[in-house]
Amino acid sequence: MAEEMLLTDDFLRQLINVGEVDILVGLRTHNNADTIAPVIRAIQTGILQCFPRERVAIVNADGGSQDKTPELIVGASIDDVWSVSKVYALRTLHCISTRYATSPEPGTALRTILAAADLLHAKACVVFSPDSTTIGPDWLQRLVRPVYNDNFDLVSPIYRRQKFEGALIQNLLYPMTRAIYGYRVREPYASEFAISGRLASDFLNKESWNDESSRLGAEIHLTVAALTGTYRVCQSFLGPKAQDRGASDLVAAMRRTVGALFSSLDSDFPLWSTITGSQPVPTLGAQSEFVMEPARVNRKRLREMFATGVAQLEPVFTSILSESTLSELQRIASLEVSEFNYPADLWAKTVFEFAASYHKSVISRDHIVQALVPLYRGRTLTFLLENRDGSGEDIERNSESLCADFERLKPYLLEVWADRK
Amino acid sequence: MLLKGQAGWYKDAIIYQVHVRSFSDSNGDGIGDFQGLAQRLDYVQELGVSAIWVMPFCPSPLRDDGYDISDYRSVHPSYGTLEDFKAFLLGAHDRGIRVIIEMVANHTSDQHPWFLESRASRDNPKRDWYVWSDTDTGYRGTRIIFLDTEMSNWAWDPISKSYYWHRFFSHQPDLNYDNPAVREEMWNVMKFWLELGVDGFRLDAVPYLIEREGTSCENLPETHEVIRELRKKVDDQFPGAMLLAEANQWPADLRPYFGNADEFHMAFHFPLMPRMFMGLRLEDRKPITEILQQTPEIPASCQWCLFLRNHDELTLEMVTDIERDYMYDLYARDKAMRLNLGIRRRLAPLLDNDRRRIELMNGMLMSLPGTPIIYYGDEIGMGDNVYLGDRHGVRTPMQWSGGWNGGFSTADPESLYSPPILNPVYGYQAVNVLSQKRSEHSLLSWMKHIIQIRRSSPVFGSGSIEFLYPANHRVLAYVRQLGKDTVLVVNNLSSAAQAVELDLRRYKGNILIEMFGRNVFPRIGDLPYLLTMGPYQFYWFRLRRI
Repeated sequence: MAEEMLLTDDFLRQLINVGEVDILVGLRTHNNADTIAPVIRAIQTGILQCFPRERVAIVNADGGSQDKTPELIVGASIDDVWSVSKVYALRTLHCISTRYATSPEPGTALRTILAAADLLHAKACVVFSPDSTTIGPDWLQRLVRPVYNDNFDLVSPIYRRQKFEGALIQNLLYPMTRAIYGYRVREPYASEFAISGRLASDFLNKESWNDESSRLGAEIHLTVAALTGTYRVCQSFLGPKAQDRGASDLVAAMRRTVGALFSSLDSDFPLWSTITGSQPVPTLGAQSEFVMEPARVNRKRLREMFATGVAQLEPVFTSILSESTLSELQRIASLEVSEFNYPADLWAKTVFEFAASYHKSVISRDHIVQALVPLYRGRTLTFLLENRDGSGEDIERNSESLCADFERLKPYLLEVWADRK
Repeated sequence: MLLKGQAGWYKDAIIYQVHVRSFSDSNGDGIGDFQGLAQRLDYVQELGVSAIWVMPFCPSPLRDDGYDISDYRSVHPSYGTLEDFKAFLLGAHDRGIRVIIEMVANHTSDQHPWFLESRASRDNPKRDWYVWSDTDTGYRGTRIIFLDTEMSNWAWDPISKSYYWHRFFSHQPDLNYDNPAVREEMWNVMKFWLELGVDGFRLDAVPYLIEREGTSCENLPETHEVIRELRKKVDDQFPGAMLLAEANQWPADLRPYFGNADEFHMAFHFPLMPRMFMGLRLEDRKPITEILQQTPEIPASCQWCLFLRNHDELTLEMVTDIERDYMYDLYARDKAMRLNLGIRRRLAPLLDNDRRRIELMNGMLMSLPGTPIIYYGDEIGMGDNVYLGDRHGVRTPMQWSGGWNGGFSTADPESLYSPPILNPVYGYQAVNVLSQKRSEHSLLSWMKHIIQIRRSSPVFGSGSIEFLYPANHRVLAYVRQLGKDTVLVVNNLSSAAQAVELDLRRYKGNILIEMFGRNVFPRIGDLPYLLTMGPYQFYWFRLRRI
């Protein structure tokens, strides 16, 4: 019933014409005309090279592009790929598109793609970011093969990152997800991933799609669903990752990711509360890779934003944080950059106290997530300082240490969850 | 004497391909013969076909099932006499059935007197009737066709101590068509049979008639000259006789064999056949529409010959590597099913004996542009025996009844030229003409019906084709048109039911009449015409403006 409201008649007609598929490639777009061409080309080449016999359809869920992104996707001819790669397509390759809304809603876009995968009985559904200009044809098989051939239900990506990229994932999303759910999934909020038809169908039928956090952070919910259900999860190394366009808007990113992660804790408490420690998931290719390019970061500005936030948001923090945590943060806020240190265990405690407050809705949940932003900047500054001269191994070691603190302090989360101090 | 009829008879023909040896044995020696074939002409007539293509029957050592001829003007004694052939020919013509025979023009047997003379000495008058060389290094750019058996296109002759050229088996030396005497003699052979009354020839292996250094020795301009010369003689002396080219080539390379309507009347469309099988397994019209888009226009008097299966392997020469791998994996998982670059299987086993798929493939065969050929036994769904070696597994005795030797012969089973199919699924006790004639729902009865419908309209043989491209790629739809006669064909290639919307606006106002059941379907309007189709279902609709 839900799909009937979600899918337009025109899109349904297109799906009927596509018919059953083996692999569905989903593209969520909004004004991506500048970057979509290499992405679609890489996908088509990947299909020809690795899945020439499979029934594949590319499904674009567009959030109201004004730059003809859907037209570029639907109009991309597989014959152009053939003329360059000399790899021949046995089958018709369908490229279809639907406008699910007039403004982008990542969750609705994902839901549209999953509904298409469900209706077309796709064995595997893979989603790519339209901004992934570093995508290669091999990304498709790296994500799809584990689902298609080895019966995994979720394939999460691992990227080769510039060492200070993905700080939110490294300092919060990864260690928190790992501590809560007990699995070491490096990219719990991935813009590229593959899932089985079973997971797609099950996740589609969850009733939480109308929640704001589900609409904004469906990827986190999907990862959590895979980790907490009877699904097989693995990771696959893809290579270098281009910077997402939206990554600069930290507040929005926190809403999509941290908000969604906090929200998931509500419903999954019986599951995660009994989990201790963590275990690795099968990984194809490298566990992690870093590129050691120097980063231009204004550390002084980060410290100022942290200190200002701690000062200005004190009334808010009083509702969220314990006295000892707030007091420690205020002490750190007075430190100069050269002495600055936001320790891992304090950061873990801070995050857990925010999560518990989010659970109890001590103030508006959105305000809670926003209030975490200046503190996260402070943690980011420590992350930069810690790893400024570090090698890849050093970064990895520091990351492991942070994760260990999150796991060690998980009983503290349970404590504040039940009765916030 | 030629059967009287309109010029271009071959365009509306339906051809039934038989091997004398395999069809019916009249004298109980275990080998089919012309008297047996003549006795079965009523069956052929009932089937509804309009022509018989008889595979090679001339004297031969039979090392290549008769494609190694040792005497072009006689009948192999196992098959009867020339008088028996004449009686068969007369019987066929009396029933309105034309007869096409083989002209194995490219090569002879190494037991042919011409070759025996040619190899006898280097100064023999027939020496230059074949292609000789002191080395085996000439024509290096020429591919080897029988990869499974031949290492080279040259073979050493220990008698004249030199090499002779052969494109097929080494016991089949190629004739030298640069020699006018050879060309003259081969025309005399054709004239001999045309004077007896045959209606046409299937010319075997035509691309290989001429050799030239530095080329692939295929499709050379000089080969076309030879063909034009033959065609002119045919037209001048035996108007109405038909020449059919066996040239396993890409459509663009085949086109020149029609010339300006001055070479062949017909040519096999080899690349289409494997793509029909591919489209069926892929459940996608792409392979079929693509190859037909690549098929050039041919002169109005010319025609393509279409087939699903024949006496050879399902050839995969005219497909890409990836397509060939796919075909092997889907249709020939057992390595014993593979031969050269092909699959040695009959139609029914290829399609898993699925009646719906067999009907769909025959439906496409009968409705795509061209003259269809039905291989003997496929009309009843005969099986094969891939363990008989070479292509013998698809040349087993015709299964007439569930009785002794399947009604093929009264001989002891051990003395048959080939063991009949015996397994419980395809054996003659399960699959035979007699039992299928008794059931109006049998494959045989269905084949008679579709042949009858095909012959009810010249649009299938001579009409134009326009492909519709509905968004549902599992549906292959096209419109055949000739004058005011318009037929819409819609094929569901999928194993699942499908809905398809057809853009038929240009036929607005017409009603559709389904040609098998003659039921009326709704009138075409402005909206896309919606059809729902069962698995592997197909429709032929005649469009009528009433």
